[in-house]
Amino acid sequence: MREKFTHWDSLFALYLKRDWKKIIVWILGVGLFSAGFVSAFEEIAKGQGLVGMYETLKNPAMIAMVGPTPVESAADYTLGAMYAHEMLLFCGLFAMIMSVLHVVSHTRKEEDLGLTELVRSFQIGRQANSLASMMETIVINALLALFIGGVMMSFGADTISAEGSLLFGASIGFAGIVGAGFALVMAQIMPSSTSATGSALGIVGLLYIIRAGTDVSNVDFSIINPLSWTYLTYPFTENNWIPLIFALIFSAIVVIIAFALEGARDMGAGYLPEREGRGNAKKSLLSVRGLFTKINKGVMIGWLVAFVIMGAAYGSIYGDMQTFLESNEMMKQMFSQSGVSIEESFTGTIMMVMIVLVSILPIAIVNKLFTEESRLHLSQLYATKVTRGQLYWTSIGLAVFAGLAGILLAAGSLGGTAISVMGDSVTMDIVDFLTAGYNFLPSVLFFTGLAALALGWVPKLGKLVYFYLGYSFALNYFGGILDLPEWFSKTAIQSWIPQMPMDDFSTPVFITITVISIALMVMGYLGYSRRDMVEGA
Amino acid sequence: MVEKVINLKGLQKKFGKFQALNDVTFSVNAGEVVGFIGPNGAGKSTTIRTLLGIIRRDDGHAEIFGKDVWKDSIEIHKRISYVPGDVSLWRSLTGGEIIDLFIKLHGGGNKQKRDYLIKRFELDPKKKAKGYSKGNRQKVGLIAALSVDSDLYIFDEPTSGLDPLMEAVFQEEVEKIKEAGKAILLSSHILSEVERLADKVVIIRQGKIVETGNLEELRHLTRTTVTLATERNVAEIAGVNGVHDFEQTDNQATFSADNQYFNDILLAATKLGVTKFEAVPPTLEDLFMRHYEG
Ligand SMILES: Nc1ncnc2c1ncn2[C@@H]1O[C@H](COP(=O)(O)OP(=O)(O)OP(=O)(O)O)[C@@H](O)[C@H]1O
Ligand SMILES: [Mg+2]
Repeated sequence: MREKFTHWDSLFALYLKRDWKKIIVWILGVGLFSAGFVSAFEEIAKGQGLVGMYETLKNPAMIAMVGPTPVESAADYTLGAMYAHEMLLFCGLFAMIMSVLHVVSHTRKEEDLGLTELVRSFQIGRQANSLASMMETIVINALLALFIGGVMMSFGADTISAEGSLLFGASIGFAGIVGAGFALVMAQIMPSSTSATGSALGIVGLLYIIRAGTDVSNVDFSIINPLSWTYLTYPFTENNWIPLIFALIFSAIVVIIAFALEGARDMGAGYLPEREGRGNAKKSLLSVRGLFTKINKGVMIGWLVAFVIMGAAYGSIYGDMQTFLESNEMMKQMFSQSGVSIEESFTGTIMMVMIVLVSILPIAIVNKLFTEESRLHLSQLYATKVTRGQLYWTSIGLAVFAGLAGILLAAGSLGGTAISVMGDSVTMDIVDFLTAGYNFLPSVLFFTGLAALALGWVPKLGKLVYFYLGYSFALNYFGGILDLPEWFSKTAIQSWIPQMPMDDFSTPVFITITVISIALMVMGYLGYSRRDMVEGA
Repeated sequence: MVEKVINLKGLQKKFGKFQALNDVTFSVNAGEVVGFIGPNGAGKSTTIRTLLGIIRRDDGHAEIFGKDVWKDSIEIHKRISYVPGDVSLWRSLTGGEIIDLFIKLHGGGNKQKRDYLIKRFELDPKKKAKGYSKGNRQKVGLIAALSVDSDLYIFDEPTSGLDPLMEAVFQEEVEKIKEAGKAILLSSHILSEVERLADKVVIIRQGKIVETGNLEELRHLTRTTVTLATERNVAEIAGVNGVHDFEQTDNQATFSADNQYFNDILLAATKLGVTKFEAVPPTLEDLFMRHYEG
């Protein structure tokens, strides 16, 4: 048993040494993002700010996004309570995603690249690498937790207590550790590093959506959700450490399972079985389109299923909205004055968030062409009668198709579920939902266009499009809560688009963004058709 | 006048500040097999990628079938086959599927030839590519390229990873193409392969062509290794014109000799009473070493 882990400590030390720069950026980045906004929140809290925010966040749409608060009356809603309420879930997610990426890149990815084989040829245990990577991630998250706690305390705000600060930090740290656990398990089960990352992030996304449902309908059910163990600690209000004990036990179990799985599998292989293949190709494969469809199939199916689930989860919330309005006189007045129903307002907000997520798929498909290029899969294809234009436009076409399908499934599933749970009180039909969804099509095209531009000119920057997407998501997320200046929110592309059905459709905006997006794709093509293919570099 | 299949003149390519190709000039005629050799990093693959329009040259003239390799690449590609030295495949597709795909995208090939080659190279076409060894991946690329009927075949270290048996199969198949009168550009580090197949050799070093010619001509430029034993003291030979690297044990000596001084050396040797005389012509290896080191 012991020898499986031989010399894990030397690997561990090596990793810390190798990664120290990344670790510092990681801790500073996530840490300051999590803890650094206390002064900004103090601004919001001034005057009637806390009361207003409390009422806003009682809206089911907001709970679905940021999570619940244990506070029962506006008077008890302190600065600390608000900070934890609005920030903790998002920061926990952030920490989880970082850990997932880190763990997979140090375990399965290195294995796929053949580095593990090299390492194992030295006197190093079969599972030492996994243990070392896991320990490194735990240490990073522990440091992150302490850092966040320290920064929070340093603001010296009244309601931000020392215990609360530490709990706040620890909740985020544990979210990271739980994420690392998921990643380690998926790294064993899945047949490659890409699918390991994808499925681990998929689990995180699924947990987020499930908790949106339980938080709104009955928060007691959220306690079985590992992602909820972050915000359910309720720092600065209830200071409940028990969810972290769950997280600890859960992570330990998950990691043990991962090690057991790893111990029993071959290097480079996963658990999902390999089927015996065909000796001849099907006709449908024998074209650039057929090939690209085939190599993107897994990602496409995975995401499209995720969109359906996401739509259904948000759709299920609609049933509770009227009940919520009955219980909240102030909100009721607000909605009856503004002339839009609470369902319409919710649809507008949630659609924007969903469509940002839908954009991930087309970006992934466009970026895939560069991955294929740098993995040298295309070398032999370049010497056939396939043109660069075919490679490029087939990818773009597939991406646009995936975007259209993604919107259809997300909006359709949202609408379908919403209509079925609303019963008699239905105010919108499925067409309203689909229109609201396709209203955001230009933003999907815009992200696709950015990825295409990168592919054509500086393909290495293709990953940055995800950053812009994450940034846009964060802006939308906080845009509902904070009063961001107009110009600032407008840096996210979808902020330009009116939110249907609340707002009216704007033809000029739709056409302008679509045309800009197409122009980006054409510019990308100009670059792609004349640059050197990245080979042998 | 023979038709020039490949014609390169003053080819230049920079990667950032690094001058990867610096005046590459050579040609391949119809029906000719040209061996393209040189040390690691000399620029062989870069030259080939330029020929295929994968990368763009900075300067110079590059034509295949009289057409520009960048502007008319698709026209050219219809008549050529290419195998890279590191065939990298889609892990989720089988070898058979990938071969079919390449053939189709090339514009069609010969189904019987494909099946015959799969047998010849002993490839299991039903296996997913992730399960293939390096040599088996290479076979997939070779089978795809050899199944289509082209006028020019470009191979960049095609046999890297193949076992000697498969290497022999490859050589036989290439000989068949050669007999059919096709042109072949073969970059390789396996000199016996080049020696067996090539009519002409082009040697590149640090982005420059340092030698071109048919093997016979090139051999002439190099020295022959001679082993000589005589009745009287062999040491006298050391002083003869054209004798280099003279080493003596008892009355036997080994040295290298310039080919044009053979007569002088033989005259001197007969005076000493020859008991043994062996002359080994330079191998491509010797030729190669001379250029690589020097
Ligand atoms: N895309 C690129 N970017 C930067 N440098 C490159 C790139 N491609 C090749 N080089 C450099 O150009 C030089 C020539 O490389 P090339 O691959 O042509 O060598 P080669 O003769 O094929 O060598 P080998 O025998 O190892 O295959 C090398 O020094 C290499 O590092
Ligand atoms: Mg090379």
